[in-house]
Amino acid sequence: MNCSEPFGAAVLGDYWLGVLGGGEEEVLEEHLFGCDECGARLREMIALADGVRNLAKEGCLRMVVSEAFLRRVEEEGLRVRQYTLPAGGEAQCTVTADDDLLIARLAADMSGARRVDLSIRDGDGVERLRLPDIPVRAGASSVVYQESMTFAKAAPDNEMIMRLMALDEAGERLLGEYVFHHTRSLPGPGGW
Amino acid sequence: MRKELSDGELAVQIGLGSDAEAEGELYRRMAPRIRLYGLRHLRDEQAAEDLTQQVLMKTLEALRAGRLQTPEKLASFVLGTCRISVLDLRRNTQRRERLLEKFGADLTAPAQAWLPPLDHDQLARCVQSLRERERSVVVMTFYDEQTGADVASFLGISEANVRVIRHRAIQQLRDCMGVAG
Ligand SMILES: [Zn+2]
Repeated sequence: MNCSEPFGAAVLGDYWLGVLGGGEEEVLEEHLFGCDECGARLREMIALADGVRNLAKEGCLRMVVSEAFLRRVEEEGLRVRQYTLPAGGEAQCTVTADDDLLIARLAADMSGARRVDLSIRDGDGVERLRLPDIPVRAGASSVVYQESMTFAKAAPDNEMIMRLMALDEAGERLLGEYVFHHTRSLPGPGGW
Repeated sequence: MRKELSDGELAVQIGLGSDAEAEGELYRRMAPRIRLYGLRHLRDEQAAEDLTQQVLMKTLEALRAGRLQTPEKLASFVLGTCRISVLDLRRNTQRRERLLEKFGADLTAPAQAWLPPLDHDQLARCVQSLRERERSVVVMTFYDEQTGADVASFLGISEANVRVIRHRAIQQLRDCMGVAG
C-alpha cells in the first residue's frame, strides 16, 4: 500500500493530544479510515506517547518539572518525596521502596538570569552532570528538579552537591549551592 | 483466494446475502481503524474494543438491509457510525471510571498488544538526550494530555511555541528510536 499524502508525526501527535482544529481533525479521520499506512504511524505515535507517560510515572528521568506537574502526579496517587532547600542549604536525604518520585526544590534569586544551568557534583565538588539552560519560569523563586529514581534507589551513602548557575556574556555566576547527604535505606550493597 | 475487493464491492457483496468471507474481510479491514478512533476519543482500550464491536454490528446490519445508498462510501459510513456511537460509550466509560473510583481496582486493563512494541530503556535514553526544554515539554505533555497552557506558562512561552518544541522533540525521539518518517 502506498499513501500519496502521508500525515507527519507532528500532526498525528497533535491529533492524539486532541489539539488539532475541528476541520483538520475531520480531514485526518476521513484519511485514517482509508489509509492503514497512516494508521500504523498513528499507532507508533501512541506507543511513543504511552512510553513517555510510563517513564514519567516511573520517575526515572532527570529533569526540571513544574509545580503543576507535581500536583497532578500526586493527584494520581504517586508518592513524591521532596526536599526543599534555600540557597546554601543542606539536607539529610534518602529514598525508600515506596517512593515514586524524588524531588529537590532549590530556592534561588534568579531574577535577571537569561540562562540557568544546573550542575550536579559529587562530594569532592567534581561536576558529574550538567543540565544546561533549564526551563525557569519568569519570576520563579525556585527550581523543581526531579532526580532519577533508578539512580537514587541504587545510590550508596554519599554526598551530592547541586549548583544553580546563571550564564551570560560575563561568564558564570553562582545562584545557589545545595548539599545533599544521602543515606541509603534500601537493602543491598548499592553502587553508582 | 479472490482478489482484494474495493470498499464498494465489499459493501455490495455483503448486501447480496450471507457471505461469511466478505463479512470477515469487512472486520479485518475496519476493526483496526475503529479501534484507533475509539482509543483517541475514549482514551480507554476496553471502551475502544466495545466501540469496535458495536460499530461493526451496526455496519453489518445496515449492509445486510441494503441501507447503504452509496456502497463506495463504506468507510465514511463506518466513520459516521463511530462518531455517533462514541457518545454513548463515553457515558459508559464515565460510569466505569466511577466504579473504579468506588472499588479502587483496575478490573478493565486489557493488553496493549496492538500497539507496536517499544524498547523501554532505549526510549529512556532518547528522552534523557533531549534538550532540557524539549524533555520538559514532551514529558509533561504526554503525562497528562491537557497541559498546553500549563506548559506554556511554565516555560514562559506561547502555546504556539510549545507546539513547535513538541514537534521538534517528537521528531528527535522518532529518529533516536530508529522510526522512519
Ligand atoms: Zn495515509
